[in-house]
Amino acid sequence: MPEPRPIIFIVDDDASVRDAISNLLEAVGLRTKSFASTEAFWKEQRPDVPSCLVLDVRLPGASGLEFQQTLIKHGISVPIIFITAHGDVPMTSRAMKAGAIEFLMKPFQKDDLLAAVRQGLDRDRVRREQDAEVAALKAKLAQLSQREREVMDLVVTGLINKEVGARLGLSEVTVKIHRGRVMQKMEATSLAELVRMADKLSAHP
Amino acid sequence: MARRVSTGSVVLRFLRRLGVSLLSVGLAFALTMLLQPLFPYPFLFLFFGAVMASAWFGGAAAGLFAVLLSTMLVEYFFVPPVHSFSISATAEAYFAAFILCALAASWISSANKKSEDALQEALDHLETRVSERTAELLKTQTELAHLSHVLSMGELTASIAHEINQPLTAVVTQGHACVEWLSADPPNLEKVRHSVERIIQDGTRAGATISRVRALFKKEAPVRDWLDVNEVVHELTVLLRDEAMRRGIHMQTELVPGLPKVNADRVQLQQVLLNLLMNGMDAMDNVTARRKELIISARVEEANVIVCVEDSGKGLDAETAENIFTPFFTTKPHGVGLGLSLSRSIIEAHEGKLWASARPSGGAVFQFTLPASDGSDA
Repeated sequence: MPEPRPIIFIVDDDASVRDAISNLLEAVGLRTKSFASTEAFWKEQRPDVPSCLVLDVRLPGASGLEFQQTLIKHGISVPIIFITAHGDVPMTSRAMKAGAIEFLMKPFQKDDLLAAVRQGLDRDRVRREQDAEVAALKAKLAQLSQREREVMDLVVTGLINKEVGARLGLSEVTVKIHRGRVMQKMEATSLAELVRMADKLSAHP
Repeated sequence: MARRVSTGSVVLRFLRRLGVSLLSVGLAFALTMLLQPLFPYPFLFLFFGAVMASAWFGGAAAGLFAVLLSTMLVEYFFVPPVHSFSISATAEAYFAAFILCALAASWISSANKKSEDALQEALDHLETRVSERTAELLKTQTELAHLSHVLSMGELTASIAHEINQPLTAVVTQGHACVEWLSADPPNLEKVRHSVERIIQDGTRAGATISRVRALFKKEAPVRDWLDVNEVVHELTVLLRDEAMRRGIHMQTELVPGLPKVNADRVQLQQVLLNLLMNGMDAMDNVTARRKELIISARVEEANVIVCVEDSGKGLDAETAENIFTPFFTTKPHGVGLGLSLSRSIIEAHEGKLWASARPSGGAVFQFTLPASDGSDA
């Protein structure tokens, strides 16, 4: 399956800056979509493709930094590249700690913007792959029966069948059968792989 | 004060003084000749008048000359025996009394005149001093106004820098884009044209901002011109936009299109507006309970254009409202307290009024009027 074409969102209240950034990104072959305000961006139906957001810090109403918090709170993990004319250090570090890709000072150089955009898209791709993987794992997990789920939870902690049986009040043979089904349904080829799957699932509940 | 006087003019003045004496004594003599037949004794009072008039208009010397002339005329024509320079024994005392009285009249009159002249001179001198001082004060006030204006412009540096940096960012970025479109194979000339057009637009915009700032800092003698208040407000709000955003203030203008023009000095009018707007912003610094808003409106009422600056800040208590236009009165920790008093004198020099009042919904309203053009001049 070919990768869907990524998109760069641009939010800046200044039409000149907005137009310039989108023109530059389009010149290097990227797809862009511009917004004059965070509200307009928020209302937009965003396509399910790798994307990143070029966000002005100083905006009328809520600032870019506040909008970053709003996105995090709503679980929207689009990578953000901040652009600002007033790059004071506390602001920068706050944004970076909250996961921003880059903090660019206006006027910025082409290479800095493009590098940041590429990094943002890469990070979004990785995130999308992880999300897809987790979604697939969750689908598999949903196929397990209650008992199989209990067996899996104990097996991945490193307990042997006998101990699992003792905990759950089952015979060792029964545990073995459940365990086989777990491995089959989760499509795990080894215990080590099953443990990794369990880790991923617990990291993304 | 040194006076250079030629000899000719001194002689002329002396002769004029003697002339005054001759004229007044002659007049007294003629009238006395006319009236004497009505009195049984020598009628001499008119000569005192002539002596006093001579001393008053001609000075002490003219007074004494008049005394001499009068004495001779009186002795010859009126003191018995008449028509001779001899004096009868009975008339001696009477004649002596006449001379003494004439001398006294001359002295009193010339002394009076002297003190009045001195007073007049002192008054003239005082007037000169007052007008000199007034001119000095006006000059100082203009300088203070400029200084206070430059100070408040200083607070705007970040905002102005932003307003110039935005189009510059656009220019640099469009420039990069332009290079990219040119290096495409084949070069996308339509996109290149678009980029270059935007570069021209944005460069022009940065230039316009710089001209605005330069106009604001200009130090020149005030020049009255017919101005569009809406335009002056707009020019200023462009520069303040970023400052307002930084402080979380919603700045909005409510301007009636097609306002009549006002006869004012552009820089001074901007000074007043800038001062009112910065005050409004400062007043909202610690406001958290309500929306921070700064509304600038202009409308016409009767023969005036009224400009109104409203803020939703801490407002005015009775004491502040009373003192707010007093020089060196300030409520700001680092304020000098000159802005509003200077603004008021600027507006009053434009035949307008500037006043403050509380805003019913919280905050303060500053308003000023300027006489509107009747349309015949602009």
